[in-house]
Amino acid sequence: MEFIQKKTIDSAVEYFLTKAADSEIALVWDRYEGQLPECGFCETGLSCRDCLQGPCISHPFRDSNKLGVCGKDRDTLAIQSLLRLVLKGTMTYLDRLTDFAQEVESKQVTPKNKVKTDQMLKEVQALIQNGGTVAKKEFPKSWLRCWEELGIAPEGIARDLFKASQKLEGGVSEVEEILLWTFKASLFASMAQWLYGSLKTSVFGETVPTKIEINLGGLKQKAPNLLLYGYFSPILKRKIAEAAKKQGVNVMGVCTESLLPPFSFPIATGYGSQEIPLMTGAVDLVVVGDQFVNPSLLKVAKEFEIPIILASTLKKEKNIGLFVQRIVEQAKKSFNFRRSISRDIPEAKEYATMGFSKDSIDVKKIATALQKGLLKGIVIFAGSNNVKYTQDQEITMMAQEFLKNDILCLSKGEASVALGKYGFLNPASNEKHCGKGLSDVLSSLGKEIPSVIDIGGGDGTTTDFLLELAKTGKRDLSGYPIAACYPEANRSSEVTEAMWTVAMGITTYFWPALPVTGSTKVLEALTKSCAEKFGSKLIITTEKKIDARAKADFILQAMKGERKYNISGKPWK
Amino acid sequence: MVDKSKCTGCHQCELWCGTEISSVSKELYQAIHEEPQPVPRVYVEGKQFALQCRHCDEAPCIEACPNGSMRRDPETGLVYVNEPTCIACWMCVMTCPFGIINPSPSMKVAIKCDRCRNMGYPICAEVCPTQALKLEDRKDYRTKAF
Repeated sequence: MEFIQKKTIDSAVEYFLTKAADSEIALVWDRYEGQLPECGFCETGLSCRDCLQGPCISHPFRDSNKLGVCGKDRDTLAIQSLLRLVLKGTMTYLDRLTDFAQEVESKQVTPKNKVKTDQMLKEVQALIQNGGTVAKKEFPKSWLRCWEELGIAPEGIARDLFKASQKLEGGVSEVEEILLWTFKASLFASMAQWLYGSLKTSVFGETVPTKIEINLGGLKQKAPNLLLYGYFSPILKRKIAEAAKKQGVNVMGVCTESLLPPFSFPIATGYGSQEIPLMTGAVDLVVVGDQFVNPSLLKVAKEFEIPIILASTLKKEKNIGLFVQRIVEQAKKSFNFRRSISRDIPEAKEYATMGFSKDSIDVKKIATALQKGLLKGIVIFAGSNNVKYTQDQEITMMAQEFLKNDILCLSKGEASVALGKYGFLNPASNEKHCGKGLSDVLSSLGKEIPSVIDIGGGDGTTTDFLLELAKTGKRDLSGYPIAACYPEANRSSEVTEAMWTVAMGITTYFWPALPVTGSTKVLEALTKSCAEKFGSKLIITTEKKIDARAKADFILQAMKGERKYNISGKPWK
Repeated sequence: MVDKSKCTGCHQCELWCGTEISSVSKELYQAIHEEPQPVPRVYVEGKQFALQCRHCDEAPCIEACPNGSMRRDPETGLVYVNEPTCIACWMCVMTCPFGIINPSPSMKVAIKCDRCRNMGYPICAEVCPTQALKLEDRKDYRTKAF
């Protein structure tokens, strides 16, 4: 029931909003307004479509239909809504891993480190069969002990995912039990992500901090522009980059891994405005994966006569080399064909240094700075855009507040893109944002360290960093003033990520509210019982209209341990 | 007006009526957890029919009310309960031909739809996804039953 008056704070995107209105092209914001009011039962997790006797709801205001046909009450409905999201998210990580592993196995690329690659491929098999061992060795013993005691340590796909998915089929499991299955599935995903990262490193080599261009200004006026959308095979992507470089085709990415050593892709825009690059008229060809790609692209592409190529179809391309050649040729052909269409490229362009890892930043120095009090805490930003908020507003305002208050900000994936567009990832603009303590720490870490440090996206660099921090400080992460923050989350993979972050002992703040708000019991399980088990909580706020500064203040107070007021300003109970 | 053919029985009208009219917080996420439970003024009857007060020209509830708590707004013609003076005799509940008026489970007052007389436009019609609920002047309502 809420219209977002200001759609975005990105001026390059805003410029195209009026253009879209003039030419009657419906964008994500128009479609969202068409959907309002969204179903209240689904929003609060009180609906179910698991069988054909339904759909059922648990009515919060009526006694006659509090239970579904099969007898599910509001608590079961809410926790199952969460489990459904987490399972779906887990599949995204597994798909990335298995897809990549298969391609490496079929020798479509020569790995940089052959021995490690073979070892990792075996480990992928082991993870799927019985939970694996290498990944577990990397994780601190205290975590594993805790997970094993609760029965949520990864034990292979059959035990972790197939069993967890049966909790949606029926049974009389309690909320606590289903919640633990949710954690089990998400931890399996965390291992899959970590392995994907390790496999990527052994095949392509270490990712080093790289300066890349962000925003629409990176599109070329006088050369073919090829855009890669969403997650798809890194091998295909790398080959495209190779061939495109030779033939003078400009390749950019949207919601895709931007660093594939030795190549890097400039980023055209963020998730929320993924239709906008096509509206410039300067895009000649689009190659799309599935994850993170909105079906609306098809319509906008048609409007501007842009051909779309699917990266993965049922009939798989057997020869990647030929496929890549066809893609690049088509990009050039399309450029010639589209000469009559005007190219309206805005000047917006920012530089961002991305791709830090535990090897390129001194984690020990960070741990010491935390102990000495130079740093007041660490916040990890994650999550993409959500149309329910003004695009990028929440994350930038929160980052400003944190940086001012000497909080070290890390970001990953799409959150880095959102912050990068406004110069937070550009070392040149450090002075503008950082407090004194933080400035000192950043300059002690190295020369070109930006105010917000990007630590990878879909690979396990963030997990690696956290493991290193836990090892260096010789204490559990729950003992540190550290929090994860999802200011505009959206995809199910982000929900899965948030769940495993909690299991690793990091308190996580999640916006918008997950579909569990219909049940007090689930909300309590995510805070109170998670705090008992892992020393961390998943905090979902039920107040909707809260300013980003108030949210940042809420997190700051919690980190300093002086929480007096809850998020709406009422005294904390 | 209710268009029976458009109602899908999604209960959105009940949900938002309960939140907007009956809850203290006026926010769905919090209204769900409120005690006493908010009571919606509109009901989805049977499988697919949203039912709310018709605001009858000759309202039996007004006739039946012994102390004048059931009133008609002279400006809009809408029938409403003046809750502070309601003595919970449930005469209105018994006489309502549509079964709209209900005794409140927690507070001793009769509760009924006042078609959001203080809000300009009824919330149920605003949230109805198929526009089965609509607010419109119908001169021909006697010939074309809802």
